[in-house]
Amino acid sequence: MGEAQHSGGCLCGGVRYRIAGRLRDAVACHCSQCRRMTGHFGAFTGCRRARLSLEADATLAWYDSSPGVRRGFCAGCGATLFWDNGARPYIAVAVGTLDAPTGIALAAHLFTADRGDYYEIADGLPQHADDMPETRIIEPPRSPADR
Amino acid sequence: MPNESGGSGGCLCGGVRYRVDGALSDVGACHCSQCRRTTGHFFAATTCAKAALSFGSDATLAWYESSPGIRRGFCSRCGASLFWDDSARDEIDILAGTLDAPTGLVLVDHIFVADKGDYYEIADGLPQYPQRPPAT
Repeated sequence: MGEAQHSGGCLCGGVRYRIAGRLRDAVACHCSQCRRMTGHFGAFTGCRRARLSLEADATLAWYDSSPGVRRGFCAGCGATLFWDNGARPYIAVAVGTLDAPTGIALAAHLFTADRGDYYEIADGLPQHADDMPETRIIEPPRSPADR
Repeated sequence: MPNESGGSGGCLCGGVRYRVDGALSDVGACHCSQCRRTTGHFFAATTCAKAALSFGSDATLAWYESSPGIRRGFCSRCGASLFWDDSARDEIDILAGTLDAPTGLVLVDHIFVADKGDYYEIADGLPQYPQRPPAT
């Protein structure tokens, strides 16, 4: 599990964020939307929305990729930053945008039925053909920041 | 294997659509800190001749100069990462995830693994280079 405070941002610095409390471990998403967006496949950690604060958001833009789901990116440099399903209390944060060290680990692969044909998944982690109902299992324990 | 017959692709929203009439190289992965921040994980791209790349739509294509002479192409509407372009080269990198399936391509190596994220392992057995690959 991660440390109690994290920060991150895009490549150009137009978006900078802080996350209070622990992060859940990361999941990789191989769905066709994540693959087109990231240019390979996605990897996301997550936190309760209220624990995410934006220190710079001048270039933060949102794209509605499905009903009720929006993807946050930087309009200045194109970085993939967030995946936000309004029906969930958590917001997903693209792990590559976190400042090092993240202190978390990749825990599973989702939507592997949509995986690209040019790579293999060889890390031995659990693979799910579509979504993973067990997502709750890898959500972090309650943090003082939630109370 | 390289794909000699080219292919097509585009971003998530369709604002950028491209085609390649010419060979696509095998795919290389880059774990440098810039690629990791841009993609949100790490980068994987094929390469083609710039002269072979054409656009069916580029209405939303935007460029960010990430280093002197280097620009990264993305969609300004959906945020998709699409291209990596070194102005000194006659070839351009196309992010493999934006290609329409099937690509017929194979990932062949990992570069800049010294900058890899701490939250994942590279376990596919492919060659890994701390920084740039050896000159070919």
